Amino acid sequence: MSAGQASMRPFYLIGFLLLVAFDTAAQIGFKFAATNTSPATFSPEWIFSVICEKWSYLSLAGYLGAFITWMTLLKTAPIGPAFAASHLEVVTVLIVCVTWLHEKLTLPQIIGSLLIVGGIILFAVAEAEIEEPAHV
Amino acid sequence: MSAAATLMWFLTLVFDTFGQLALKAAAGAEGDGLEHWKSMVKDKWIYLGVSAYVIEFFVWLAFLSMVPLSQGVLVGSVNILSVIIGGRIFFKEALTPKRIVASILVAAGVALVGWAS
Repeated sequence: MSAGQASMRPFYLIGFLLLVAFDTAAQIGFKFAATNTSPATFSPEWIFSVICEKWSYLSLAGYLGAFITWMTLLKTAPIGPAFAASHLEVVTVLIVCVTWLHEKLTLPQIIGSLLIVGGIILFAVAEAEIEEPAHV
Repeated sequence: MSAAATLMWFLTLVFDTFGQLALKAAAGAEGDGLEHWKSMVKDKWIYLGVSAYVIEFFVWLAFLSMVPLSQGVLVGSVNILSVIIGGRIFFKEALTPKRIVASILVAAGVALVGWAS
């Protein structure tokens, strides 16, 4: 592993935490906006109610922040592992749903979350032994 | 899944994979920070990637109108594997045994959470 790659670690860690925070905010905003404007009829009235809904803007800000973070990460991060690791969002959304929205947590959800976290840790371990081809 | 739902699922897979690979192609542009964005907006790949996402959003909505969300998330986990394979083919990303196992773990985890929710 080169010194250059070693110095990427804090960048990836902060980048992914930021990405997951933005993604989670977007999903939470989406959930509240969808609930408050339900049912989604795609009529002009429904579109207007989505525009007037304040949670829509948390969702929009989350997506925008996630996009900027994602493009910055992808400049150096390999797309395959980065895309897989971005699914940590599934776990954080689940945590928010259980702690704040009082949704029930089931055993398969816990096992699934552990598999996701385990896979991401394995990706981080794998990074240490891989020389990526030089970027063009 | 009905034939129409299977087709929609296949389309989300194609657009999601293409979109991610296009964004990776765009992100390879020169410069840091604002300079990076200045070179990215001159490149076709960022527009192709974002367009793929806008189309995928509508295909996804159509797909979810045919199957329950849990089933949608379940089959959506296949995208993780297709993007790993795409990264290998188009960007020569290393596919070590650890990365293969890690991909399968994450995909299985997402599928399990989807199935259980």
